[in-house]
Amino acid sequence: MNTNPRTGANGTGTQPASTGAGREANSVRVVIVDDHAIFRSGLKADLHDSIQVVGEAATVEQAIAVIAEKRPDVVLLDVHLPGGLGGGGREVIAGSAALLSTTRFLALSVSDAAEDVVAVIRAGARGYVTKTISGAEITDAVHRVAGGDAVFSPRLAGFVLDAFGTAPADIADDELDKLSARELEVMRLIARGYSYKEVAKELFISIKTVETHVSAVLRKLQLSSRHELTKWAAERRLL
Amino acid sequence: MTTLPARPPLARSSDRVIAGVCSGLAAHLGWPVKNVRLGMVLASFAGGAGLVFYAWLWIMVPTADEAARRNARRPASPIAPAVSQLSRSSPAQGKTVGAPAQGTASDGGMPAGADGFSPDSTEGTAASPWFRVRGMRYGKEILLGCGLLLVAGIMIAQLLGVDVSLGTLIPAAAVLGGASIAWMQLDETRRAGLVDKTKADQAGGWGRLAAGLALVVAGVLVMVSGSGSWEQTWLALLASVAVLGGVVLVLLPWALKFWRDLEAERAGRIRETERAEIAAHLHDSVLQTLALIQRRAANEHDVVRLARAQERELRGWLFQDPGRESGQLSDRIKAAAAEVEDLLGNAVEVVTVGDAAMTEAHEALVQASREAMLNASRHGGGTVSVYLEASDGQAEVFIKDRGPGFALGDVPADRLGIRESIIGRMKRHGGSAAILSTGDGTEVRLRLPAAELAEGKP
Repeated sequence: MNTNPRTGANGTGTQPASTGAGREANSVRVVIVDDHAIFRSGLKADLHDSIQVVGEAATVEQAIAVIAEKRPDVVLLDVHLPGGLGGGGREVIAGSAALLSTTRFLALSVSDAAEDVVAVIRAGARGYVTKTISGAEITDAVHRVAGGDAVFSPRLAGFVLDAFGTAPADIADDELDKLSARELEVMRLIARGYSYKEVAKELFISIKTVETHVSAVLRKLQLSSRHELTKWAAERRLL
Repeated sequence: MTTLPARPPLARSSDRVIAGVCSGLAAHLGWPVKNVRLGMVLASFAGGAGLVFYAWLWIMVPTADEAARRNARRPASPIAPAVSQLSRSSPAQGKTVGAPAQGTASDGGMPAGADGFSPDSTEGTAASPWFRVRGMRYGKEILLGCGLLLVAGIMIAQLLGVDVSLGTLIPAAAVLGGASIAWMQLDETRRAGLVDKTKADQAGGWGRLAAGLALVVAGVLVMVSGSGSWEQTWLALLASVAVLGGVVLVLLPWALKFWRDLEAERAGRIRETERAEIAAHLHDSVLQTLALIQRRAANEHDVVRLARAQERELRGWLFQDPGRESGQLSDRIKAAAAEVEDLLGNAVEVVTVGDAAMTEAHEALVQASREAMLNASRHGGGTVSVYLEASDGQAEVFIKDRGPGFALGDVPADRLGIRESIIGRMKRHGGSAAILSTGDGTEVRLRLPAAELAEGKP
């Protein structure tokens, strides 16, 4: 997987990567990428006023062009998209790799199946939500992603636990291929349906710490060469 | 000649040196393969009797069905085997007459359609006239007849005083042998070796082809060179090779085109089958549900429930792993969740990590989980999150809702749902249950250690 979000991310660093700093004051600029016009308009209506939709796209090519033109803070990206080479959302992220330092991708999927979503996560998306999510939840997720945090659903947490194993990392292990004891705890609670706030309360840590753990797991999910992940990716011809 | 029913039917084995005759014979007679092979070689020196016997068996005896299927490697369409069985049936009857040694046991066990034609090569014959020659109904009988006629002809010629020298016979035999080795490629390994591009099969195939070619060339060479000097022979050889090369050059594009057409046709057929299967499934499930939803459009509750149920079914069909064992703990938990979802209409999201085979104690865990899901869905009134984590050590299930919560002490003593069906049940099976309820929701935690599973505590 060479679509590491960090490599080549500084190609056109025209904007400072501090979009998250003043996000409470400014509205978040969002581009919606989905091939169903009905869904796009429904989503637009659902989003809170603090989110400003600056562009829409229906295909891979359109999406890459619109994202390059508008430079949004967050792209709401459908996993399955027509056009391009058939890579869908993954291809959009790869095509916008130069903007990854300023633009964050939040994957949208009609299904909650990890199979659909891990490809875009590994391409560089900061999280994903299902299309059945409520307007308030998606607004929250957009703000979270705009602030640089990861958005994990219970099912994605379950997939992570399945792929990385439920035993905590030994010191000898490659740190990318195992989760730490604390990360495991966080993932378990998210898989059990806890919100970040509830996780923080349960583990007696701050929400910020929870977010740090989740971001660390996201990074491992993106960069790990763990057998299960590579096998999974190879089966879907992602390597 | 033995026809004991216990014996495996006489069939050419896939464990082959040349055509699997010896190992098939050995399996049938219950002798060591080595002895049979040695005997066959020794018999070959007795005036070629072994060779003739071998060739005869090769032609008459079909390959083992499993071998054919393994070599085919692709599931054939359900119609194809029936077709090939039909076209094979009449030669098979002829075989019984011609091969008394095989007896009834072998005849009954002889898989029709096993030799030379795996079900999908039958489809290949339909595609190309060239293969159809091999599909000839009495091909084997004709081949055998020709061989016998040839032998008879030579014998008669010798009787009549014509000198058929060994110098002519040996090269002729070499040519025939080489040709048959090369033709062996058209046997059931043909498709496996050439189509599937498996390295081992292909290497063996090319090896055989090369050996056959070498034999034929050598035979022809010896035949021709008998009448001239070596110099002439070399010249002739060179010319022949040049001509052959030219012919290959001319025919190669044709062969490639033909090959590609065949591949394209196969791919198209596979696609068509898949499409038909998907269409059938969508018709049976999604279209029916959509029709139901249209009729119930007024009832939001029903629509949501139908949509959820259909989504679940479709997802199960799309993403199921065919290699996975069914009936595992995670399946049962998901089934219980689906049941609760159907019953009460609230979504029940299940996340599972790991899995375990069902035991009696696991059954109790599933029942307790179901009870907890029912409570959560009924009183929580929103989406219920279920998380199952199963490892070697234990199985844990967490059921969480976001309802108003309750205190266990407030539940009347005559309500057995929680005390009996969840806590009591888990305790009886060596597990534990904890209920954590706050104003933000309730979580039921069920735990079943594996140590208790091993004891099989009832």
